[in-house]
Amino acid sequence: MAGRKLSVVIAQAPGKNPNKRQLEEEIAAQLLIENVADVSLVPHLNDLASDDSGALWLRGLGGDVVVLAWLYPRATHWILDRMGIKGREGTVLLRSAEEDEEEEAEPEAPSPDAIGALNVPNRSVYAIDLRIEAKPEVFLSEIRRIVREATVETVTLDFFGLSNGNGSAAHHAPPATAEASKTDLTGTSKRRWYPVIDYSRCTNCMECIDFCLFGVYGLDDHDRILVEQQDNCKKGCPACSRVCPANAIIFPEHKTPGIAGAPVSGVSDFKIDLSKLFGAPSALELAVMERDTELVADGRSAVGMTVGIPKRQTNLGEKPRDALDDLIDGLDAM
Amino acid sequence: MMGKYEAVLPADRQYADNHHWLKPEGDRYRVGFTAYAVRLLQDIYFLDWSIDPDTPVRKKQEVGEVETSKAVASLYAPVDGRILTFNDALMNDPSLINTDNYEAGWLYEIESSAPMMSVQDYVAHLNATWDATQKTLKGQYNEAE
Repeated sequence: MAGRKLSVVIAQAPGKNPNKRQLEEEIAAQLLIENVADVSLVPHLNDLASDDSGALWLRGLGGDVVVLAWLYPRATHWILDRMGIKGREGTVLLRSAEEDEEEEAEPEAPSPDAIGALNVPNRSVYAIDLRIEAKPEVFLSEIRRIVREATVETVTLDFFGLSNGNGSAAHHAPPATAEASKTDLTGTSKRRWYPVIDYSRCTNCMECIDFCLFGVYGLDDHDRILVEQQDNCKKGCPACSRVCPANAIIFPEHKTPGIAGAPVSGVSDFKIDLSKLFGAPSALELAVMERDTELVADGRSAVGMTVGIPKRQTNLGEKPRDALDDLIDGLDAM
Repeated sequence: MMGKYEAVLPADRQYADNHHWLKPEGDRYRVGFTAYAVRLLQDIYFLDWSIDPDTPVRKKQEVGEVETSKAVASLYAPVDGRILTFNDALMNDPSLINTDNYEAGWLYEIESSAPMMSVQDYVAHLNATWDATQKTLKGQYNEAE
């Protein structure tokens, strides 16, 4: 498969920020000059309707794809999955300075209880967050690294015939062009607001479908939870994300990193958050308030805590004794 | 099950449900963490206030944050009132909270006429909420794993 080119997709920032536009253009131009990848530009992923020409183009791309977007990589990956642009999560080594300062996080392993994505083809999708650096060079060197990695991987797989496709795995033909090409599919798209499900975390527990009273969620043919009516979702309301026990619901445009798909990292990863002890509203209280606000805005009645309240915690299994047990026993003894 | 409160909760002051004590000092109250809060927080590494001195606050308004060996937490005003001054000594050495949480480790001074809890009320509050607190902590700890 020599000569196969990697596809690089740059999803433009919403709005007209000249600095962001310039970064996008510089990366695209340099990739074309170096002739290492086919480059395409599409509108902001979050706003891309699934029948948009950019989405159709993305679905037609075969082989490994690098997607640069102004979103957290998890958000990018699961928006694409939702649009039918599926693949394994390619390993991106590029990190923000902030993440670098923190403990080196191992790539997150899928939760053992997660239901996983369906029909994942044998190719990698590398999601890169354009917000982590203002200069094109770091992105370019990461893309060059991925080009090398993708090339090596492809040769190895072919040589050993290790196509670990799972039946429905689509092995796309490489693009026929030898010249790197650039395709511009950007246009104007309307801002959108909706949840995306991270199936590497989702356990199909149905708390979200119980909690949301706007008909956003549904079930697919396999009884798997699905964001069925994206555009029923209420702009600004992330309530279902707050009640999700697996933190599997991403609102790519929410201002809180944890809800927008940030990696679970840093302090909060291994320290307990005791804010609640000192009077903070709980995630559930917030979610209920947010939902009531949207219900009232729709001319319906607020339901408070009476509908769809999560049933988690009630059937938590017994876990082995841990540091918190010691702490609680210590308090008991006071 | 959580006996001997008198030993760790001085009766010379009042309390708030978010585990702060409020001790009258002239026209104001001096505010700090109860032993219960300190025990849960453990060694305090970092304390930061998000508001300036002489700022009116509402109960449950976020006023700062704390990072400890075990936990992070946002801090919220215990009552409606006006926060007058912060304890400067803690800015250099927040461990005073661990060593002397009822005296030198005070957090700030607040002017308030809001109702507060007596030590007996606070004990009753602790007993009433202990199961829920335990469940909350435990649930969160499990989720984070």
